[in-house]
Amino acid sequence: MSTIKLESADEKVFEVERDIACMAVTIKNMLEDIGETDTAIPLPNVTSNILEKVLEYCKHHKEHPTPQQDEKKDEKRLDDIPPWDREFCKVDQPTLFELILAANYLDIKPLLDVTCKTVANMIRGKTPEEIRKIFNIKNDFTPEEEEQIRKENEWCEDKGN
Amino acid sequence: MNTTSILANQSVSQKNVKLEDIWPELEGGISKILLELNQGFPIKKWMALYTHVYDYCAASQSKAGPKVGVSKQQNQSGANYVGEELYNRLNVFLKKHMKELLEVADKKMDESLLGYYFTEWERYTSSMRYINHILNYLNRYWIKREIDDGKKEVYEVYVLSFVIWRDCLFTALKSRLTSALLDLIEGERNGYQVNTHLIRGVINGYVSLGLNREKPKETILQVYKSSFEELFLAATEQYYTSESVKFISENTVADYMKKVEARLNEEVKRVQQYLHQSTETELISRCEKVLIEKHVEVIWNEFQNLLESDKIADLTRMYALLSRIPRGLEPLRATLEKHVQTVGLQAVQSIGSVGATDPKLYVETLLQVFKKYNDLVTGAFRSDTGFVASLDKACRRFINENAVTIAAKSSSKSPELLARFTDFLLKKSPRNPEESEMDQLLNDVMIVFKYIEDKDVFQDFYSKMLAKRLIHGTSTSEDLEGVMIGKLKSTCGYEYTSKLQRMFTDMSLSRDLLERFHRHLEQDNQQVLLGGIDFSVLVLATGSWPLQPPATNFSIPKELQACEQLFQKFYQIQYSGRKLNWLHHLSKGELKTKYLSSNKSGYSLQCSTYQIGILLQFNTEEELTTDDIQDSTQLIDNVLKSTLTVLVKSKILVSEPELIEPEDIGKGMKFTLNKQFKNKKNKIIINVPVVQQVKEEIDTIHKTVEEDRKLQIQAAIVRIMKMRKQLSHSGLMSEVIVQLQQRFNPKVNIIKKCIDILIERDYLQRVEGQKDMYSYVA
Repeated sequence: MSTIKLESADEKVFEVERDIACMAVTIKNMLEDIGETDTAIPLPNVTSNILEKVLEYCKHHKEHPTPQQDEKKDEKRLDDIPPWDREFCKVDQPTLFELILAANYLDIKPLLDVTCKTVANMIRGKTPEEIRKIFNIKNDFTPEEEEQIRKENEWCEDKGN
Repeated sequence: MNTTSILANQSVSQKNVKLEDIWPELEGGISKILLELNQGFPIKKWMALYTHVYDYCAASQSKAGPKVGVSKQQNQSGANYVGEELYNRLNVFLKKHMKELLEVADKKMDESLLGYYFTEWERYTSSMRYINHILNYLNRYWIKREIDDGKKEVYEVYVLSFVIWRDCLFTALKSRLTSALLDLIEGERNGYQVNTHLIRGVINGYVSLGLNREKPKETILQVYKSSFEELFLAATEQYYTSESVKFISENTVADYMKKVEARLNEEVKRVQQYLHQSTETELISRCEKVLIEKHVEVIWNEFQNLLESDKIADLTRMYALLSRIPRGLEPLRATLEKHVQTVGLQAVQSIGSVGATDPKLYVETLLQVFKKYNDLVTGAFRSDTGFVASLDKACRRFINENAVTIAAKSSSKSPELLARFTDFLLKKSPRNPEESEMDQLLNDVMIVFKYIEDKDVFQDFYSKMLAKRLIHGTSTSEDLEGVMIGKLKSTCGYEYTSKLQRMFTDMSLSRDLLERFHRHLEQDNQQVLLGGIDFSVLVLATGSWPLQPPATNFSIPKELQACEQLFQKFYQIQYSGRKLNWLHHLSKGELKTKYLSSNKSGYSLQCSTYQIGILLQFNTEEELTTDDIQDSTQLIDNVLKSTLTVLVKSKILVSEPELIEPEDIGKGMKFTLNKQFKNKKNKIIINVPVVQQVKEEIDTIHKTVEEDRKLQIQAAIVRIMKMRKQLSHSGLMSEVIVQLQQRFNPKVNIIKKCIDILIERDYLQRVEGQKDMYSYVA
């Protein structure tokens, strides 16, 4: 089993199995272009603690592949996160967001999906004020703007009740 | 996933990147990849460029996106993505690159143009694979959204690179490229070595440029077809038109066909080597049109010559070529039919009158012609049904009507000769073929039999000869007889062989019966009554056996009377009500001489019953006159005369005065035993006058065939009318012919006669008021 080296933004080098690293499409594409290499691959947008988490995720899913399901259906559902992934996403907010960014940057679709679904579950059923509180968002709407938006989205509120 | 854009607001590591910040580095990198990829590209650089694109697209989008809810339309389609500006810059950059390439290409011609184009194409496509990966973030978000929104002019980066190549470079070069390709291909057709790798590479490029708007990942062939294939096919047609005209005027047709075969193979190989697979069908069909269809008359005209000179390889080739085009084989079928018929007729003609008397030679001659052309049809013509039919028709003609049958004035000559040949095979004789060959020989008989029209004539002859073989015990083997009957049965059906089968059964029934007779005598202690005679008898059903009743009276000698009476009595007890007719003329026996001092153990004489009747009288008399013999035997004149003649000729009897002609036998002629008789063999078969007998038989068979046919025709008419109730004259005619064709070809005038006979006998009547209509009288 061949291995490759990945270098985080804070210059920590991780040696991982090639197949695991290639779950990140960006890395897969690059290796396809450049070929086998001993040089550590620099990942300037990912810090070592996040990269470690990402690799943990990749390793687990390489060893426990989830059966392929209908992609469209998966995207819409929020309650289909497997137990291991749910545990995996139980992290503080900044870490969760960093994971999302890393998954997007490295192009790891299943990780991106599961982290985004986790965030979506945090929002679900909450009022705007509650959401602002959870994510520490300043309300930058004027009262007029807010009124207009509420009107436009009335159908949505009804459904929430 | 829309969530990312909301989250980007919160990004911990958010950067603020403008296109101007990254473009110079990106442009430099792309340019390096396009031009100097062979020098390698460092990982750090790759990752840095990818990260730039990511930072630009992901980081800027939060600012670039309008406030949530301001534009309803955009809201519904989700968040906004950044990338248009980058996409446009790439577009401009690639177009500029094309312009540079085109400037160089414009100075090149022919093969060097192809070489340049191909090298650049290879370099470009592999570089663009890199660039596509580096810009993948653009593919994933901005471009994907634009495509999803239905913008036709936005493509994934890799596809975009093809579109630009096609529109900005290929379109300008394609006519020069294609004509250079066609030049190379023509060069190869003319026998020069060409760079097929180059041709293949450029043509693969044509195929890749056929972008499918609906499914960008797949290609369609429109560029290949319109920019290359059409012109290629036209050039091919032109090339082979002029080549074929020239070649055929300078060479033989046989050589031309070889050339065509080689050319067609070459073209198939050409497709495999460097064209798209889809071209093969059309290419080959155009070649066939020009190379075969256009010259089909010339090829057809050569067929007869090739047949006459037995050029099997050329005939095989001709078949293969002509079977490729529509209706290419039709005229050949008629030619073959005529040729085989002619050859068959000539072959029979060449054996002359011998054919009529030598069944073996005759049948072998027929078979030789059949086999020769059957080999041709199954080999060269691949058992093509049309040719098989031609062969069958031709064989049927020359087998049923040829010099021998014309000389005999009877189409029944062939079935007769075939039956005699079969008899020759199945009758015990020192000239019998090896047993291992027998099955093949009987199959050969069946081949000729299949073509025989008068199968009923064959049947008559065959059953006569079978009867003789069985009665005289002269069959080679009972197994072979069974095999032959089986073959006839499988060709003509149960009815055809039912009589033959019953003859077979009679033989084994007789064996049983005889055994029971002897056992019966043993039980009653009556064996002595047989007087020491080894007596055996065959009981044969009159209806199944084609046997003539004796032509003369005969009173059997008293020595044999006891046997006959015992058996008669025994038989009547077993089967009361059945009548036994003794066919003495078919019977025979063995006598032992005791009057010859020269041979003490005595000669065994195998004689007919009539001969026995005469000879036994010399046990008591020294000398007998013709009259004496006639009195005691009751034989009629001509039988008596011929029987005596044989006995005298075989030197058993001596006549006084000496006998010269059978007709000389007068009433007062005297006969005595020849006491000086001598022979090398101990067992002597006294011959029955054979030749005359056979000739008579043949004549009677031909005569009885005619009578039989009339009966069969009448039976068929009655069968048909009983079913149809009413039928027109022509309808009845054709149905009768169809029904009987398998046995013989009924002649129209005879059918008419039969209809008249049936009307007379009130089986049918004419329908009043309607012309030519018959109805069945129940």
